[in-house]
Amino acid sequence: MATAAAGTTQESGQQGIEAEDNQFLTFCLRDELYGIDIHRVKEIKGYSAITKIPNMPSHIKGVLNLRGTIVPIVELRTAFGMPTIDYTAFTVIILVIVRDRTLGLVVDSVSDVVHMGQKDIQASPDFGTKVDVKFLSGIGKSGDKLVALLNIDQLLTEGYMQEAAAATA
Amino acid sequence: MNGDYSKFLQTFFEEVTEHLSVLESGLLTLEQNPNDVEVLNRIFRSVHTIKGAGPMFGFTTMSRFAHEVETVLDPLRNRKFSATREIIDLLLESADCLKMLVEAAKNGTVIDENKTMLDLEARLETCLIIPAPAPDQKATSGPPSTAPTAPAPVTSVHRTYQISWIPGEDLFQRGLNPLKLFEEMGRMGTVRSCVLSASRLPDLTELDPQRCYLSWTCTLETDYPREDIESVFEFAATPGGLTITSLPSSSAAAQPTQEPDPQLAHSVIDEEDDPRLAEVFFGQRSDSLGVILVEQRAVTPAQLVKALDRQETLRAKAKEQKVEASMRVDTEKVDKLVNLVGELAITQSMLSALGGRFEIEHLPILQERLLQLERNTREIQERVMGIRMLPISTAFSRFPRLVRDLSAKMKKKIQLVISGEETELDKTVIEAIGDPLTHLLRNACDHALEPPEERVVAGKPEQGTIRLNAFHEGGKICITVEDDGRGLNRDKILAKAIKQRIITGNDILSDDQVWALIFRPGFTTAEELTDVSGRGVGMDIVKRNVEELGGLVSIKTVTGRGTTFTLSLPLTLAIIEGMTIRVGQDKYIVPLLSILESIQPKADMVKTLIGKGEGVNIRGVFYPIVRLHEVFDLQPEHKNPEEAILLVLEVEGERVVVMVDEILGQQQVVIKSIEENFRKVDGVAGATILGDGTVGLILDVRGLMKLARQEQSIAV
Amino acid sequence: MSRVILVVDDSPTMRGMVSHALNEAGFETTEAENGKDALIKLTTMEVGGAKPDVIVTDINMPEMDGIELVREIRKLSAFKHVPVLVLTTDNTDEKKEVGRAAGATGWLVKPFDSELILKVIRKVLP
Repeated sequence: MATAAAGTTQESGQQGIEAEDNQFLTFCLRDELYGIDIHRVKEIKGYSAITKIPNMPSHIKGVLNLRGTIVPIVELRTAFGMPTIDYTAFTVIILVIVRDRTLGLVVDSVSDVVHMGQKDIQASPDFGTKVDVKFLSGIGKSGDKLVALLNIDQLLTEGYMQEAAAATA
Repeated sequence: MNGDYSKFLQTFFEEVTEHLSVLESGLLTLEQNPNDVEVLNRIFRSVHTIKGAGPMFGFTTMSRFAHEVETVLDPLRNRKFSATREIIDLLLESADCLKMLVEAAKNGTVIDENKTMLDLEARLETCLIIPAPAPDQKATSGPPSTAPTAPAPVTSVHRTYQISWIPGEDLFQRGLNPLKLFEEMGRMGTVRSCVLSASRLPDLTELDPQRCYLSWTCTLETDYPREDIESVFEFAATPGGLTITSLPSSSAAAQPTQEPDPQLAHSVIDEEDDPRLAEVFFGQRSDSLGVILVEQRAVTPAQLVKALDRQETLRAKAKEQKVEASMRVDTEKVDKLVNLVGELAITQSMLSALGGRFEIEHLPILQERLLQLERNTREIQERVMGIRMLPISTAFSRFPRLVRDLSAKMKKKIQLVISGEETELDKTVIEAIGDPLTHLLRNACDHALEPPEERVVAGKPEQGTIRLNAFHEGGKICITVEDDGRGLNRDKILAKAIKQRIITGNDILSDDQVWALIFRPGFTTAEELTDVSGRGVGMDIVKRNVEELGGLVSIKTVTGRGTTFTLSLPLTLAIIEGMTIRVGQDKYIVPLLSILESIQPKADMVKTLIGKGEGVNIRGVFYPIVRLHEVFDLQPEHKNPEEAILLVLEVEGERVVVMVDEILGQQQVVIKSIEENFRKVDGVAGATILGDGTVGLILDVRGLMKLARQEQSIAV
Repeated sequence: MSRVILVVDDSPTMRGMVSHALNEAGFETTEAENGKDALIKLTTMEVGGAKPDVIVTDINMPEMDGIELVREIRKLSAFKHVPVLVLTTDNTDEKKEVGRAAGATGWLVKPFDSELILKVIRKVLP
C-alpha cells in the first residue's frame, strides 16, 4: 500500500472546514465514503501486527510500533458500531494527529485525496449516517458521491477516549 | 576595566550560582563540625571568587558585601576564632542576602542601599569583636591516632632547626629504627628537607648488614623547643652524633634562597613607562620594602588540636578521592542521542531474531558478531543513561536548610535524616519531584510533628525525626518521607470529609481509603492556616504531580507514632532486564527484578481455600494464584495450574503468584512510553519493541495486584 | 613564533576572560585550574620540549595555592626563569612581600586591566 506523508504546515481548524481550499483524504468503511482533513493525516501505512492492550473497549484495538514510537490504534468499524471484517490486502491504517498525539485508524481501504470547496459542504443532516452526528463536521459532495467528513478531534478525544477512560477506571 | 566581557556573563552567573550553593551547604556542614578547616577554606574560596569576579562585570555591591563576609570567614579559617551558632546563623543570613544580590544582578535591577544588606554588613563587622574562645578543645573528633606524641610545646615560637644526626653503628642492634625517629620528628612539625649521607658506607664485601652506616641532615620547622627534639634522639645518638642548630625562620620554604629573577633585568622601569608598572614589580625603588615577613602559620595549637588537624588531613584525603569532575551537558543533544541509542538497541534485537532463523555454516560467526553488537549496545546504553541520570542528592540539597528554618520558625525540634542520596534517576524526574517533596516535608514539620512539650508528654524524645530515603526497587525509584509525629487520625479525617461532603456518614471505608481522602483538593484538617501549609491545596497537587510523572503516592500511618509517605516513580527512559512470557498468543514482559522464582506446581500444591480462592502452597506458605488471562482477558493455552507455569512475584514486600503458559526467555528491554500517545494502562508499566517489530507490553506488578484484587471482589 | 602564556585560576570565568584578553593581543594561552594542575601542565609541556613564556596565576585556589605554585616553579630547573605574574584580589603589602619572597615576578590586582596586563607581559618577555 502506498505510504504517503502529508505533513503540511498549514493550520487546520478544529472542525476540518476552513474557508478556503480544503483537501480531504477519503476512505471506505463498508460501502460508505468518509473523509479527513488532509492536514491532520500524518501517514498512511499498511496493516501490521497490533498488540492488544488489556481491558480496553473493543474499538481500541491496541498499539503498534511506528518507527520506535508506540501508537494506539482504533478500529473505526467498531467505533462506528459496524461489524468487523477480516483484514484484506487493502486494509490500511491512517495515522492522524489529534492534539499533540498520534493515533491510528484502521479502515477498509483508502480512496482519493479530493478537493472540496465551501460550497460543496453542507452541515450534517440528522439522518442517514451510521455515525453519531456530533462527530461529523459536515457532508461533502465529491463528484456524484457523498463524503461524510469526520471531525476527528471530537471523535477520538471526547467520545471514544472518554469512554475508554471510563471503562477501565 | 576595559574590554568587552559580556559574553562571559553567563559563565560568570553559572559559576557564582555553584559557589553560592557550596557556601550554603558548607555552612550547614559547619553547624555539625564548627572546626572543619577544609570546609571553612572551601567556603572562603567561594566567597572570595564571587568578590573578585564581581567588579569585572560592574557588580560592585555584590562584591562589597562578599568582602564583608570574607572578612569574617578569614579569621575563622585561620582558627583565630571559633564559629559559634550565632556566627553561623549570621553567615547563613548573609548567604541569603548574597543570593538576592546575585539575582538582582542577573535581572539587571540596581540595588544600591538595601536595608537588609546594610543591617547584615553592620552585624558582620561587629560579630567578631568579642573574641570567641580559642579553637574548640573538645575531643569530639577522635583521639590522637598514635600513642606517643610529643608533649605540648612550652613556648609558642615557630622555629626552623637543622638537625644533623649520625647514629651509632650499633643502632639496629639496639632495636632502634631510624624511620620511627623520623616519624616522630614529623609529628612535631614539618620536615622541610632531609639529606642522606652514605659517606660511611663501606664496600659491599665489607658491609655488615646489621650495622648502621647512614647519617642524615634534616631541616625541621616546628613549634617545639630544642629539648623536645633532642629527646627524640635520646637513645639514638652517639655522643657528639647529634647537632641541632637553629636556622633563621622564614615563612618561605627553607630552600636555597630566591635568586633574583633574571627576567626582571628586562623589566627595568623607566620614566616613559606606565607609572603603574612600578607597583606591579614590587615597587622597584632603592628605598625598597622593609616589610616584615608575616608568619603564615597560626598561633600554636594545643596537643589535642594537633590531633584534630591530623584527622582533618586524613578526612580531606579521603574526600579527595571522591571528587568528581562535573560537566554541563546539553540536554537536547542527550535526548537525541538517547533516542538514537534506543533505535540501535531495537535494530540489534531484530538482527538477533533474524540470526536465529538462519541455517547456514556461517551461523556461528553471525551469532558471535551479534553477541559483540549486543555488548557494544549495552555499554552505550549504560553510558548514555549515565549522562542523564543524576543522583537524587541534587533534589535533596535544599531540604536540610528548609527543615532547619521551619523547625526554628515553629519552635519545634526537628532533625532531618537523609539516606540514599546517591540513588540515581533521570534529570527530568528530579526536577519535577522537588516541589512535591517540599510540600510533604513542610507538612511533616507543620502538622505531623508535635511541639517538644507534647512529645515529651507522649513519651517521645523531644526532637522529632524526619527520614528522607531514596532507593531503587523493581525498576522504579521509591522515595519515602517518614516522620515520628502524630500520625493520621482516622476519626478527624472522616469527620472533616463528611463536613466537606466528600463522603456521607454512612459510607464504610477501609483505612487505606480514609488516608486517601487527604489527597482530595481542598481537604485539610488543620485548625488554622499557617502560611506554611494548611490551605489544603498541597496534597492533591502532590498526588497529581507524582501521577503525571507516572508514579504513585501511598501512605502508611500509625496514630500517635508517625506517618510514612512513599512516592514510587518510574525511571523515565529505563532499560530493564525482562522475562518474556506467553499467555496463549499474547506475549508480555515481566520485570526480572520482581521475579522471585518460577515453578511448575504439582497437583497437591494447588488448593482452593474458602474465603481466599485458589492458591498454591509453596514451602508452607499459601499464595493466591492470579490468572493473567483472567485479569487481561486473554485466551490461554492452559487453564490448569499444573500444566501452566507459576511466577512468584514480589513488589514492595507483597507477593503474588501469576499463572502463565510459558516462559520464553530473558532479555534487556528498552521501556517505551505508552502515555505519549495514549494513556496509562492499569497493570502495564510500559511497552517495548520486540525483535519482530511488534510491541510488547511490560507488566506493572503492583498494578496487576490491584487489578487482581478488583477482579476477585467482583467475582465474589 | 607565537608566545604561550599559562593562565592559572580556579574560576573558569576568570580563566576565560584573561585568556580572551591575551588571545586578542596575539598570545596563545593554555589553562590550569589550580597549582597542582598547573604543575602537571608544565611537566607535560616540558616532555614535549616546550615551555610557557609567561605564567599568570591566581592565589586562592584549591589543592595548591598560587604562592606555593610559585615556590614549586622556582625549584624546577626548566622553569626557574619563567616570569610568573600573580593576579589576585589581595593588595596588602604583607601578601605582596610573601609573593615576592616566593619568587613572583610581578603582582597584579583584580579586577584586571587588560591594557596593564599586556604592558607588564611585554615588559617581562625576553
